Parts: sequence; structure tokens; C-alpha cells
Amino acid sequence: MVSVSGAALTPFCKSKDGSAFRDWAGSAFKQALAISTLDRCDIDMLVLASESDFFTLQLNPVSVIADDLGLAGCSTLRVEGGGASGQLAVHAGVRAILSGTARHVAVIGVDPSASQLSASAVKALYSFSFDAWSEGFAGVSATTLYALSVQGFMERLQLSKSHLAAVTIQNRENACANPNAHLGRRHTVQEIDDCTLIAAPYRRLHCSPLSDGAAAIILSKSGALPATRKTAPVILGIGASSDRVHLGARPEPDRFTAKSTAMKRACKSAGIEPKDIGFAEVYDAYAGAQLQAIEALGLSENIGQDLDAGEFGPTGRCPINLSGGLMGQGAPAGAIGVAQTANCALFLEGRNQSGLQPANPPRYALADTHGGICTIAAVTVLAQADAL
Amino acid sequence: MIRHDLTLAYELPPGWLSPWIDGLTKGKAVARKCAACGRVSFVPQRVCDCGSDKGTWVELSGRVKILRRTSGTEGEHCLAQFEGADIACVARLRNFAPGITHGHLVPSAKDVPMLILEPASDEGSN
Repeated sequence: MVSVSGAALTPFCKSKDGSAFRDWAGSAFKQALAISTLDRCDIDMLVLASESDFFTLQLNPVSVIADDLGLAGCSTLRVEGGGASGQLAVHAGVRAILSGTARHVAVIGVDPSASQLSASAVKALYSFSFDAWSEGFAGVSATTLYALSVQGFMERLQLSKSHLAAVTIQNRENACANPNAHLGRRHTVQEIDDCTLIAAPYRRLHCSPLSDGAAAIILSKSGALPATRKTAPVILGIGASSDRVHLGARPEPDRFTAKSTAMKRACKSAGIEPKDIGFAEVYDAYAGAQLQAIEALGLSENIGQDLDAGEFGPTGRCPINLSGGLMGQGAPAGAIGVAQTANCALFLEGRNQSGLQPANPPRYALADTHGGICTIAAVTVLAQADAL
Repeated sequence: MIRHDLTLAYELPPGWLSPWIDGLTKGKAVARKCAACGRVSFVPQRVCDCGSDKGTWVELSGRVKILRRTSGTEGEHCLAQFEGADIACVARLRNFAPGITHGHLVPSAKDVPMLILEPASDEGSN
């Protein structure tokens, strides 16, 4: 079994203090290592998630991060899978421990927002996250693809723009309680209705931001945990899958099929069902993407009704994105999946800095991440240490 | 701050997609037809859903039906199905008035593969 012996995040923001991605990675690692009560010489492996060398202008980034962290001598691995990079890195760390090749693995996710580049350059680079040859060079953006996907979803489930607004409002409200969040805001429906239309139905306030930041977790073989960390949450199951890269090639472009498959695999390895999940950090690159994810993950049988009833709010049946999610906490691409897992672990153990930390944390949590238009999906089921 | 300007000029070989890319620059819809099951893919798929990687290149009419469309500051794009294709694709729309449901492929810029659609001649344009 694998435990999360340490977890930490830097603030997600547009950094203006002169620090860089190497500083953020170092800060998150140092904090996570302190929680684990391990020493850096205990770390056998470093797994780094970073989406694009264009943003850091550093090829082979794991080599410099390992050196910066004093981890020379460790085995290293860099993981990249678009927006799913961080969660795939968590999975790589879990597999290293389960295979017996490592006892303690540091998993770090980091990316800068590249705000020094022009908006058009960043948009062009992100459009290459899809099939560059058929979509990227044609200027098809992420927002365009998500918009085309969510239209059919909203029709099928009879959802309206008020449901999209509810996601934005809830996630940004949740972020107000998170001291590390990029966009803690209190939006109104009118404000959302009036903001710029990016790609119908998506308006600016339906979109997550690009952020600077890093997150780190220390994964440990449960049998090798320090005596001080016996309450560390465990990773109960992992699951991943993929879909056709072209939205139009999928039988149902409005469904996140790869996510459903990943969730089934994670639940099977965890020995639980979706209804057992007590709270979830879900990949909300766009407001509607959160709702599509809830469907794919099997967390609701009537999304519109549950949303209206507040079932995904902080006091609901299954709180979603207590951290604020990508929309509120922020989205440094490579850090997202690691941050989701870190937040779940911190919430489960009752040590999350968010004002929304549950007094009695549920038994099971879910971290859900994807890359592309849910082309690569990766989900992780976490549990209280005594859930075994 | 560390300042560094980087200009990159790529010339990417099109590889196996060469017939498709060459077709786009000429306004021709060149699709992949699976030798095993006959399924036609546009955008071409190297391995068909049936599992076969054997296929031939076929030219479609270029006529297309718009399934969904979106517009905003990111431009006008659609999910569309080419006549004779068994899957849909995402394309850019040019001069499409609201309500127009059919279009045709037009040539993209030289050496740049772009799926650009204009309204079918019998539907007019704005």
C-alpha cells in the first residue's frame, strides 16, 4: 500500500515577486518533506510533472529540479500528459513503490503561466495540445473544443447557462476560503452573463486561469512510514485511460468516455464504488467540463437537480472542488494533478489550510484530472489511513 | 529578469498524412478508407476502430454538414461531417451566416493544413 506522507502547495497566482518555477518547486518540496518527517536522503525517486518546455524554457527540467533539491543520486522521471501531467506523475510514483523499486518518492508538479509571452503565443502553444496538424495550425483553441463538446451535453441533460454559472460561482466562492488560491471571487449571475463571449456557450468567467505555482507530495510505502506519520492517508486506487484525439472521431463527443473508464479502473483497484466518494477535486478547466466530469465519474444520477440542491457545495452530499478547483484555486498546468491529490490528502487528514476543511473528513476522496479534451484521463482514489 | 528572444521556423515533414495535407492546401477532402471494414475517416485515422491499419486514400466531394457551431472571440468553428465520411471533424468557418447548415472545403494557405469551410453555393453567404 502507498501512503501520502507529505503534501504541500505554493500559492497559485501570477507571481510578481521575482521568483521562478525552480523556486516554487523547491518551496513545495521542502514543505511536503517537512510534513513527512523524512529526510531528503530518504527519497529514492523524483517524479516531475511539467507540461511544456516552452513555458519554462528548460528542456529536461527534472535534471535541474533534482539538483536544486539536493536529490542528485535519486532516480528521476519527467511526466507529461497535457493537463493530466500531474496526476500521471502521481500514478508513476505509486507504481514505483508498488513495484518495489522505491520506498519514498517525491512527486512535484510545476509550471509557470508564461505570462511574459503574448496571449496569442500562449493560446497557439496550448492549441498544440490537441492534434497540431489538424486543429492547432487551424487556430482551434481549447475553449472552442470544450464549447463544441459541452453543447451536446447540455442539450442531453437539459442544462442551461444558469448551471454553468452555478459552477463558476461555487468554485470561486470556495476559493475565497483557500489562502493559496488565485481567484477567490464572489461573482453574480449577471456578471457572468455580461462578460466576454469566448466560444459559445463559454464566457470568460466560465474559464479557468493560467497560474504560476507548484505542488508536491511525498509518497511512501505504507510499511516504511515514519512512526510519526501512521495517520497519513493512503492511495487506494489509481486508474487511467485515453480516447481518440479528435473530438469528431468519438461516437459521443459530449461524453468524457476516457474518464469513465479511468474511474472504473480506479474504483476496481480501490474496491469501492463512485457513491462511496465523500468529496472530489475535479478537473474544471471550464464550468461545463466539471459537470461533464461529474457525469463521467458517476458522482450523480441527476446533475442538474443535485447542482440546484447544493449537493456539490461544501455542506452537500459530495463536495466538489473545496479548494476552488482550477477555476478558483488556479491552474499551473503541470501542478494541477499533484495539487488535487495533495489537497485531497490534506483534507482527509484534517490539515488543509482551507477554511472549508471538514471537521469530520469523509473516508474516501477522489482526484480527477485530464489532458486534451479528456483525451488522457487519470483519477486517484484516496482514503483515510484506517480505511484499509 | 532574464530576457531571451527565440524565433523558431519549423518545416515539418507531413509523413503518412501527406495526401491529406496536400489535399487541404488544394481544397480537396482526401480521406482514409479502411481496407478491412470500409469505414471512411476524415480527419484520417492511421488505425481504424476495427483495428486494421490497412487503407487507401479516397477523395470526398468536399461538401459538409454542420453539426454544431460555436463563435466568440476565438472565431467561428464547427463540428462538421463531410459527405462520405463516417466520423466528424472540427473546422473553421468563414462567412457563415446564422442558420446555414451546409458548406464546402476551401483551399488553406500554402503548406499549412487548415480545415476551412465556406457556405455551400446554394445557401449563400453573409
